[in-house]
Order: sequence, then C-alpha cells, then structure tokens
Amino acid sequence: MKDFDFRAAETTEDALAQAGADTAYLAGGTTLVDLMKLQVMTPRQVIDINALPLRSVRTGDDGLRIGALERMAAVAGHPQVREWYPVISQALLASASQQIRNMASMGGNLLQRTRCGYFRDVSAPCNKREPGSGCAAIDGVHRAHAVLGTSDSCVATHPSDLAVALVALDASVELRSTDGPRTVPLADFYREPGSTPERENELRPGELVTEIVVPALPWAARSTYLKIRDRSSYEFALSSAAVALDLKGDSVAGARIAVGGTGTKPWRLPAVEEALTGRPATRETYEQAAERATEGMRTLPGNRFKPTLVRRTLVRALLSLGD
Amino acid sequence: MSVPNSKPRRAVSADRVDGRAKVTGGAAYGADRSPDRLAHGYMIVSTVANATIRSMDVSAAERAPGVLAVYTPFNPLPLKPSGFLGPVRVPLADKEVVHHGQPIGFVVAETYEQARAAAMLVSADYDERPAAVSLEAGLPGAKEPDSVDGGPAVVTVLADGVGSIDEALRAAEVTLAATYTTAQQQHTPMEPHSAVTAWSGGRLTVHSSSQGAGVLASDLATALEVERGDVRALGPYVGGAFGGKYATYAQTRLAAAAARKLGRPVKTVNTREQVFTATATRAATRQEVTLGARRDGMLTAVRHDAWSGAAIGSATVEAGGHHSSLTWYASPNIQVGAKYVPLNVPEATIMRAPGEAPGSFALECAMDELAGELGIDPLELRIRNHATTDPHSGKPWSSKHLLECYRTGAERFGWSRRAKEPGSTADGDWLTGTGMATAVFPALRFPATMKVRFQADGTAAVSGSTADLGTGMWTVLSVVGSRALGLPAHRIKPALGDSALSDAGFVGGSAGTASVGSAILAAAGEAQKALIKLAVEHERSPFHGLDPDSVRYENGRLTADGGPSEDFDTVLAATGRPGVEAEGSSAPDQSQDYAYASFGAQFCEVRVNRWTSEIRVSRMLAVMDGGTVVNEKTARSQILGGMVWGLSSALHEGLHFDSAGRPANADLAGYLIPVNADTPAVDVHFLDHPDTRFNALGARGLGEIGIVGVAAAVANAVHHATGKRIRDLPITLDQLLD
Repeated sequence: MKDFDFRAAETTEDALAQAGADTAYLAGGTTLVDLMKLQVMTPRQVIDINALPLRSVRTGDDGLRIGALERMAAVAGHPQVREWYPVISQALLASASQQIRNMASMGGNLLQRTRCGYFRDVSAPCNKREPGSGCAAIDGVHRAHAVLGTSDSCVATHPSDLAVALVALDASVELRSTDGPRTVPLADFYREPGSTPERENELRPGELVTEIVVPALPWAARSTYLKIRDRSSYEFALSSAAVALDLKGDSVAGARIAVGGTGTKPWRLPAVEEALTGRPATRETYEQAAERATEGMRTLPGNRFKPTLVRRTLVRALLSLGD
Repeated sequence: MSVPNSKPRRAVSADRVDGRAKVTGGAAYGADRSPDRLAHGYMIVSTVANATIRSMDVSAAERAPGVLAVYTPFNPLPLKPSGFLGPVRVPLADKEVVHHGQPIGFVVAETYEQARAAAMLVSADYDERPAAVSLEAGLPGAKEPDSVDGGPAVVTVLADGVGSIDEALRAAEVTLAATYTTAQQQHTPMEPHSAVTAWSGGRLTVHSSSQGAGVLASDLATALEVERGDVRALGPYVGGAFGGKYATYAQTRLAAAAARKLGRPVKTVNTREQVFTATATRAATRQEVTLGARRDGMLTAVRHDAWSGAAIGSATVEAGGHHSSLTWYASPNIQVGAKYVPLNVPEATIMRAPGEAPGSFALECAMDELAGELGIDPLELRIRNHATTDPHSGKPWSSKHLLECYRTGAERFGWSRRAKEPGSTADGDWLTGTGMATAVFPALRFPATMKVRFQADGTAAVSGSTADLGTGMWTVLSVVGSRALGLPAHRIKPALGDSALSDAGFVGGSAGTASVGSAILAAAGEAQKALIKLAVEHERSPFHGLDPDSVRYENGRLTADGGPSEDFDTVLAATGRPGVEAEGSSAPDQSQDYAYASFGAQFCEVRVNRWTSEIRVSRMLAVMDGGTVVNEKTARSQILGGMVWGLSSALHEGLHFDSAGRPANADLAGYLIPVNADTPAVDVHFLDHPDTRFNALGARGLGEIGIVGVAAAVANAVHHATGKRIRDLPITLDQLLD
C-alpha cells in the first residue's frame, strides 16, 4: 500500500470541498482497501465519508430512494424493498458474503471495480488499470469475461449484481459535486470500454454518489434475480438475469430484463422485452424471446458457452415468475 | 452442513484438547510471536515465468522509510540446499526464473507495511523466454522419473504366459480406454506460511508451523550451516498443512538468514498470492486408463499411465496408477507408469493423498464407464473384482473389510433404489443422479519416539516433537496417553510441536496416529518400569526393597502383592523427585507377510439444473475401514474434511495459468473452494475393526483416505444424472451445456 493522506468528512459539503483530483472516498472499504493493498488503486488522498447523512431507505408513490451510504445488508432485508422490489433484495443477497454486505455501501457497490484477474495483478498488462499497456485477458484466461459491449481494449465484466437489477428498473443515481447536484440514469452512467476502458462511468473527479432513485413500478413486485455461478455463494456471476414481469391474465403486458456477468456494463435487453410483450406467458414465448438476448455477443475461445448460458438463465428466470 | 450422528460402540469421542484455545484466540500460532527488536521481511516474487534476471533496481526500495536491507540474487543471503523430501530451490541463489511468482528478493524493514511498500518499488529487468505451461503440449517431451516411491516408474504385473500388458488387453473380451485430467491445486491452508526467527549466541529459534518441528530444525541447520542442536523449531499449532508444510520454503529460509545477518529477529508472513506460487502445489495430471474385462465384469488387464506437470528442476509426479490401479482390484495383469512434463509452473509437492486423489478419479471413473458398457451395476462390478490379496505383492491384506464398506454403504445410502438408466431421474428442474467409488490408502508407520513423564502433581506429561496439523494430534496424545496409563484425560498433559522434545518424526502419510500412538504405548510401558524401579530402589519409598516384579502399575497406582498400594504422586512425594520419565519408540515393525491399507466406499448424490447445468452435491456418505478408531470425533472431522476437499476437486478447484505462465486465479477470490452452501449433508460411518497385525493400537491411518474416490463418485453421479461423461476436473457447468 502506498502512503496516502487520510481524513474524515463530517458533511457532504465538507467532503466535496476537501476532495482533489486524486481522491478516493471511503465508504465500506470492501473494494477500495483491497485494491489499495494490491496497489491497483493508489489515491493520494482518502476521505472517509461514513459520517455523511446519506443513510436512508424511503419508499413512496414516486418510488424508492436509497441513500448511497446505506449498507447492502440493510437494503436487502428492508421489508418494503423485499415486497415491492424483490429483484433488488435478491440481487443484494446473491452478492458477496453476509460480512461484506454488512460493511459495503450501496453507492460503493455501483462503483466496484471489475474482478478481472489481470486488472488486480499489477504486474500484468491491463488497459483499464494502465491505459495503453494492453489486455492480457483477450489471449489469456477469460472464461468469466464479457461477451457484450467488449472492445479490443477490454473484455472485463462489470461485477455488480445490484446494478443489473437497478438498470432493469430504470433507476438513476443522484450525484453531487462542488458544481451542484445532477441526476443520471444508471444505464447511461456506465460506459462501454471502447478505447478508454479506464473510464468506467460518468462520475467526475471529486463527484460523489449521494442517492439511488428507483421509479415506482407496481408490477416490480413480480420480479426476480437469478445468478448462475461456479459455487453456491460468495462468487461472481457467470451469467445473471434481473427480470420483472407484468402478467395480465395469461399474457405478458410488460417486461423489464437486464443481464449481468456477461457485459462490460449492466446490460438491458430491450429486444427481449419487446419480444415478450403482448405474448402468452409460456415457455415457448420465453425461449423465443431469449434468443434475442445473444444479438451482438462477441465470444472468445474461453467463453463460447456464454450465449447459451445467458439464454438459459433468462428462460429459467422467466419461468420462475410465471408460465 | 448437517452431520448425522452414527457412533460406533467402542469408540472414544473426545473433544479437542486444544479446541478452546483455538476458538478463543488463546492458541499462539507462529506469526503471533513478536520478539523484541523485531524486523519484518517481505518476499519479492518474479512477474514472468521463464527468464534470466538481467538486473534489479533496488535503489528506491533501499531509500524507502524503515528499510533495513534488500536482498536479491545480486546480493543474496548465504543459504545451502536442504530439504527432507529433497532439496527445495534455494531462494536468490541464481538469476534464473523458472515460474511466475518465484521468490527473487527479500526486503526487511521496521514494519510489515514498510517492507511490503518497499518491495513494490523494486523492479527487475528480465531476459524473457517463452514459457512452457501446457501439460498436453509438453507430452512429447515427457520424462520418466528415476523412481516412484523408491520403485520403478513403470511397474508391470503379468499372469504366467502373458508377454505384455498390451497382449493381455488385446485378449480381453471387452476393453475400455479413456483419458482423464485433473487440475493443478494448492493446499490453501487457512494459516499462510510464516516464520519468526531469532538468533541468540549462535543459536536459532524459529516459530513456524510445519509438519514436524524436528524436520524443520534439520532443514534450517543444513541450510544455514549450523549444528542441528543449535536450531530450535516450534510450531505447536498449525493452521492446516495437507502436505504443504513438509518442506521448508523460501520465506523461512530467508527470514532465518536475514535475522542472522542483521542481528535482529525477523518475521515474515506470506501473502495468499505468495502461498500459491512461492510454496508448492499438487501437479496437474493427465491419465490414460485402459481396462480389459470379461463380459461378466471380471478384470483381465489394467493399464494406467499418468503424466504430471512438474516444475523445472523437479521430478515430482502424481503417480496416479501406482497409487490406485496397482493394488485396488484383482486383475491378473496390471501395468502402471508415471512420467512428468517439465513446465514453468510453481513447484509440486505432496498434497493430501498424493497419487491416490487423482489416480482414484481416473480409475474409479473408468470402472463406472466399464460398468455402463457391460450393463452391470457399478457397485456390483467392484464387488466382483474385489482383491482378497494385494495384486502387486501377492500378500494377503492384514485386515480388509472393503466388502462390508460397500454393503453397509449401499444400505445406508439407498443404492438399491438407484435408477439403472443415466439421465432418467429428476426432481422438478433438477436432474438427479448418484455415484460411488472405492477408496484405498496404504497404511504406513514411521519411526517415532515419545516421552511419558509421571509428575509430582499427579499428572502425566505425554510429549514428542510431532505436529497437530488440525488433525487432532493433541487429542490423540491425550486419548492414547489416558488409555495407556489408566488415567483420566484431565490428568494427561500433552506437549508437541517443539524440536527440543523427543524425536517423534514428521506427520504425514496418514501415519501420525499409528506411529505416534504406538510410541506412546511403548513410552507408557517404559515410564511405568522406571516408576517401579524408583519405587523399589528409593529408600524413602513405601515400596523400598521389594522385588520389582511384585509391584504392578494400574490406573496411576502402584500395588505390591500383599504389600502397600499408593498413587504415583504419593510415591514421587515420598522420594522427593519432581517426576520420573522414560522414552519409548515405535518403528515400523509390522510383519512383512501382509499388505496394509485403509479401505472405504464413497457415495454421493448430485443435482444438475436442467436449464443452466449448475452441479450441486446434495448428499455424501463414506463408510471407512481404518482399523481402531482412536478418537471418533476427530477421525470423523478428518474424513469430512477429506470428502469436502474431494467435492472441491470435483467441482471447483483448479489453479489456472495463461500461456505466458501467469496464474489467473492465485487468490482465494479466484481459486474456488466450496462454501457451506455447496456442502451437503455428509455422513461418515466407521466399521472399527481393529488391525492388530499393523500395531498394538489396531489403528490404521484416516488422514487422507477421506478425499480418495470422492471426485470420481461426483463425476459418476453427474453422469448418472445427465448421461454426460466429463473426464476433466473440475467439472463446471459449461462442460454440460448443450
């Protein structure tokens, strides 16, 4: 770990005022501290923001608002989240371990870095960590890597389960900087790697995620998060699906679909949603719609199984909501 | 994880005597020691797999805060080759890099953080060469080791009149040939390798967990060119070893040499990443098995060839055939062979059931495939080929109840309800299947000396330099000492993990309990004799002047025929002596007329999702024939741990390297082992038939057999569930997706 300056902020204004170009905000620390030990992240300044008043879960007619410092475990167990947005609760419970969920913040979850092993190994080339150094994964071990949104520079997946659920629900993030607040839809917040994989999102230097806003969606009560992985718990997704279904009688009136573990960012699938809408809620419909999920997928020799797995994940998730 | 209770009648089931200290933080592990003036060391490891180091820039590191010294191949520490299992690579001795993550430097600083930060400032300039990492690609260059287990690399057993194994296979009514692969693995003990080293007056004290304090002391004495008696090694608590703490790896050697040079104690603790690359691993294997059989399933010829990936400069093999097909089934013709392929990967060493773990995967899958081919129940096929004598040596087994393992297991597991057709059973969206496998592990004994001391406070000390790897050796000392002396366990004071104690050898080969337990019995007898001798010879003793043959020891008390009867502490008090002690030794003195092994049967049930193909094990059972069960509780834990590891090998574990030789998952986030949610109800049942031909205790080993056969049982169950035969470990869902 490199030496760094550490301070604790009392208020949001205080935190923003102290932040410089090379500042990292410390919330739960479950990603930051880990990556600082590995010298993958080497901020000159770390500002502890845990005292900031950004811990709350509020539900109302306009939807759900979650403070960025709220802990994952608290949101996962929140009765109204469980009842009205089971996909969020399930995505959180499928993440990490209970100990990590007790520490890790909601905002930090959205900003967690990829689990690509080459990104975490400072002796390896990695365009995301060190722009222009190359990508060791493309010719290396990449079984878990992305097939959607990849580029010749980077094939790393975005690791968050929560973000997949939120993108499916059209959530936004509230951001604040010394220039003031702004709201960005989460789907636009994340960037595809292109030739600049080091730029993962729209956050500006010193800017802080303050709140997550999920619009009201009554039929999100019929939603689920299915995560497929190499062990039952404490492992990242090979493929995951966040699915909400609006069923009217025997047919699908609306659908929200996003997938994880397969994209360089949480991946919304409007083509699948469209293929489901207005069709009978049957296995045949689900299988046909899931075919649309693989449009544009680009596989590597080690992850050729992913398109099949994504289709199957979607069908299984849809069947669990109703057929 | 639920653990059904099934206590056999005679077994003791004692809590771990060290359990409370361990779970309350009272047990001081090696790295918990911090002597005065302590400095901290941190290893620098290579970032390429095959190269010569042209230069290293240490200037920034040397200037970094707190740094005391930076050692590299250009400024090495004096160390000689040494090693109980053969010399390990001497760190910093040359500029050659043969694998990624090889130690190439050692920074010592005032704090751990300073040492680590400074280590990150060191850069190395390499003349890099292409790395060889593929076992498959290296097959044409495979080499035969000079020997396997002290015998030849190829062993052939042929019936009279048969010219070769190939001739026997050609003559078979049915043959089955298949190739199996297993992944490179790391022991990943919970406690990483560490050392705390301090010199005083030319003598070294090292706190470090190992599989034998005496072995560690000898390794270091040779490496540092000092007398064996000038090194004291201590490691009373070991946070897991599994074969990975036999050898003395770079961190301990570097810390001891740096401590001598700097005149200060040095502590070093490997990072998890360093444990993966700078200690050792289990080699990856490729195995070809050909079975020849009659239509009734009787084996007529077995050929089993194993290739292992070996680190450059090492000839370590996982002799899968030697450790399974050579002795498991009654085939008149058998040939096993072992070769290695030199690769730019971390060193290989012993890991739990070396040879048996990968070997049983290949053989027991092949047996399952043969059963399918012949339409014979897989369990029935094993029964038909039961070996009543060791097919290799021709000797009878000292005690073998494997058929009872099969039958008891089948009954407890409900094997008779198994569907005949693979892929024909489901529970909703989950395909279900069951599989089984045989487990065999040779019963070994090693020389050991233990000491028993009667003490004036009424306790008896049972001590020796042996190690408790988490296996329950502390408790074995207590239980066997208690039994041998007729004293309650609370009056037994066990001590181990110190090279200054009686030389009890190392712990491994599942021989710890059999070797150490036998030595305790011998020491207890000798100590009783010494006690009686003192009692009759000391003038203030109530037994003074009596014929020693007329005095007997029983349950802590001396009694003379028609004379006095006193507790031993009373006798000691009368004589004014603080204690009386004796050593006792046990050597492998079992008759050479028999073959010795522990036996078992493994059963498992899996569920495979119809859509996404995740495999989850839902039930496991082992029935074990390991002779006397000395302490059922710790014996059960040993078998459970082995079974969970077998599940892990089957479905999770594998250390993967890319074509440049860079490890892709050398940490516990990327190197998967099962979590509790992957670990089902596990049932362990012991037969508990004493094997008194093996030793007076009647106990054979149970340390390693728990893992043997498990991966095959899982793979066989996956086949039964899905109809798909996967021959490459670990079995992951992508191998099953259509």
